[in-house]
Amino acid sequence: MELVWQAAVSGVVLGLVYALVALGLSLIWGVMDVVNLAHAEYLMLAMYATYWLWALGRLDPALAFPVVVPVFFGLGWLTHQALICRIVRAPLAAQIFATFGLLFVLRYSAFAAFGPNVYGVWRTGEGTVTVLGVSVAASKVVAAGVSLAAFGLLAAFLRYTKTGKALQAAAQNRDVALALGIPVDRMYALSWGIGVASVALAGVFLIPFYQVSPTIGDAFLLLAFASVVLGGFGRVDGALVGGLSIGLLENLLGTLVSPTFKFLFVFAAFVAMLLVRPQGLLGDVGR
Amino acid sequence: MSHRQVLPALALGGLVLVPLWVQDSFFLNAMIHVFLLGAAAQAWNLIGGYAGQISFGHAAFFGLGAYTTSWLLSRHGVSPWGGLWAGAGVAIGVSLVLGYPTFRLRRHFFALATLALAEILRISFLNWEAVGAAVGLYLPLQYRNRLAYLMWDSKPPYYWTALGVVTLATAVAWVVDRHRAGRYLRAVEQDEDAAEMLGIPTRRYKLFAMGLSAALTAVAGGVYSLYVLYIDPYNVMASRISLLVVVIALIGGRGTVAGPLLGAPFIVLLNEYTRAWLGGRGAGVDFILFGLLVVLLSLYQPRGLVGLLNAFRAPPQPVPSGAGDDRPEPMQGASQEGEVVLRIRGVQKSFGGVWAVRGVDLDVRRGEILGLVGPNGAGKSTLFDCLTGFLRPDAGEAVADGVRLVGLAPHRVAWAGLARTFQNLRVFPELSVWDNVLCGVEHRGEGLWEATLREVPLPVQEEVAQLLRSFNLWEQRHQRAGELSYGQQKLLSLAMVVLRRPRVVLLDEPAAGVNPVLVEEMAQRIRALHAAGLTFVVIEHNMDFVTRTCHRVAFMAEGQVVTVGAPEEVQRDPRVLELYYGR
Repeated sequence: MELVWQAAVSGVVLGLVYALVALGLSLIWGVMDVVNLAHAEYLMLAMYATYWLWALGRLDPALAFPVVVPVFFGLGWLTHQALICRIVRAPLAAQIFATFGLLFVLRYSAFAAFGPNVYGVWRTGEGTVTVLGVSVAASKVVAAGVSLAAFGLLAAFLRYTKTGKALQAAAQNRDVALALGIPVDRMYALSWGIGVASVALAGVFLIPFYQVSPTIGDAFLLLAFASVVLGGFGRVDGALVGGLSIGLLENLLGTLVSPTFKFLFVFAAFVAMLLVRPQGLLGDVGR
Repeated sequence: MSHRQVLPALALGGLVLVPLWVQDSFFLNAMIHVFLLGAAAQAWNLIGGYAGQISFGHAAFFGLGAYTTSWLLSRHGVSPWGGLWAGAGVAIGVSLVLGYPTFRLRRHFFALATLALAEILRISFLNWEAVGAAVGLYLPLQYRNRLAYLMWDSKPPYYWTALGVVTLATAVAWVVDRHRAGRYLRAVEQDEDAAEMLGIPTRRYKLFAMGLSAALTAVAGGVYSLYVLYIDPYNVMASRISLLVVVIALIGGRGTVAGPLLGAPFIVLLNEYTRAWLGGRGAGVDFILFGLLVVLLSLYQPRGLVGLLNAFRAPPQPVPSGAGDDRPEPMQGASQEGEVVLRIRGVQKSFGGVWAVRGVDLDVRRGEILGLVGPNGAGKSTLFDCLTGFLRPDAGEAVADGVRLVGLAPHRVAWAGLARTFQNLRVFPELSVWDNVLCGVEHRGEGLWEATLREVPLPVQEEVAQLLRSFNLWEQRHQRAGELSYGQQKLLSLAMVVLRRPRVVLLDEPAAGVNPVLVEEMAQRIRALHAAGLTFVVIEHNMDFVTRTCHRVAFMAEGQVVTVGAPEEVQRDPRVLELYYGR
């Protein structure tokens, strides 16, 4: 029982990190119905950025986000302006292939620049924190807290600011929003900015306990997809619920059954969800 | 033989002879990869190109083929001649288990599911002791140099085997491409709903393409395992294989037989040689280039290298003999005029508490043209959706000549004899006018193998030719439907649905957005088809069109049929005047 409780608590902590990774994917998917296959590559790049700031600039990863996050916001905006705005209304296949090509470019640019080696931030005296009777690495608790804060901020932004409401309007009906004078293209670019910035935020706080290599995007892309589909695609709170479910599923079944198969359970749950309830846990029925 | 047959034969002959002159093992190794990955890309193209269902998990099928073949050989001494078949069978099984449920879902879900499938299989095989887990499987060397086991000491025999595999995959793709199945798959890719409504069982064709694709990929994987003699999840189930296969088909030209053949040497040779020239450090450089190419092609040239080579080339069409402007023969039973052919009773549909259709009763009589008019939002198109299986009504029943329609999938509704056009145009823009109409043949009782191996019979092609002449579309038969004017596309969509002489044709605003000359043309065509025995239900706002074309008019408002009668009667009805014109 003790073991299960431990697994559950660290599952929630991990789940919050997954949720932050999935946040941007879900936002962009929801706002413009584009699935960004290159999403996790931005995570990988942000992890490299934070790593090099630490390795070369001696900047503590926890303090790197004021530098990294704005840069990646700009990168997301730029991606929209240079590529995505040209394929928003293209056939589905063109959309898939555009971000698929982007995935290649980003991943193998990192490969060419940094090589296939694994990099991680090593700090001595890494502390632990006791959460609900379970001791968890401090860096993970920080990452989980940052995730909660990011979800809170985004929810407040969408609900209480004029721009946030305009973004929601653009997501619900492009034509009506245009007719009301909402600059829909700018809202789309904004969603890419926020989406990429949020996954970069996740990268900044992942690097203290997760090593980076050019191909880590594979696993995280699937985890992010799984979170979004499990929670309900196209809704920001879906990513939170989905991320938490996946963190819990991975840790509980990994502990109770076998740690080698933990991702198998996650992806099996993902496929099962696609088959049984494609709209996700929170999604509306009948769409 | 025409030059179209001579060229591939010469190319194949030349490739067979290559190892007699070139013994450079690096080159032969690269060519074996070209052939095997080319075969897998050709297979991917069946589902990802023709059917438009994009798979990012083809490494799963490649790996299943490799594992089945190797496991049977190393653990049970089964010859690869049996093992390759077994691998194909396993891959088909897995592909159908994945495809059957996910093909219900549209948009991105199939791609996501394939991504997860590949990962699930890789993790499972990494931990499955019976297939060697992370250690993998070694192939027993004592079987080498025996044709029965397809394993050799030198590279040329592998070269020929791999060439055989890519030839097989290409032949299969060519057969599909040249016959009905290829046309239907393209139609599914372009507009699945419209394909369904023509009676094409879209899910069956997608599953067919998926199974074929998985089987061919598995064969390529099986031969690959015989070549490398050692497999583990990292070399036969790597995501790199899934990605290369997609990139080859994409850059070569999706949805064409030549595409993967052009893409494979380009991608694989570039991949192999940059690896050799630049070493491990530069291994990613070629992939950056592939990525850029994929992005550029997605923006500017969806058909890849093939599309660049022939920006557009009209495919040769059979030109049936005989001319004339004959009407189609009246369908059987058309003489029993006045009998009810479509009975609608109590059909209701609400969306989240808002009634779109609330209790519609309507009889459509054989041989009439029934107009369905009413203000926007009256529920006319929703009623059509309920009748044709796109929506499931909350309550009510619709029966066409004894066949209950509610609960049937759209293609079954089509098989029951209903045809339908859509309010917004639904032709297949990338198919030629000729192919568009050929998609409208009777699909009831049309077998998969028949559709794959045979073209539409000549008498039916003759009918298509006559239909196109009578619709004044004969001259445009080689053009892509997307190049026609809007009005011509509307005529085409009518021609597509009447080819199989359905019992009832539902037309959703046939005259909307069309210039007056073509409105007249449309009215003439409908009257002519009516004279030939067809029954119509026409939603239309153009009252002039309705009064001149329809025998009876049903007026709908707020989800209900308010009145039915002769056009003049309905137009004078005070309730209609109030509801339609606001008096």
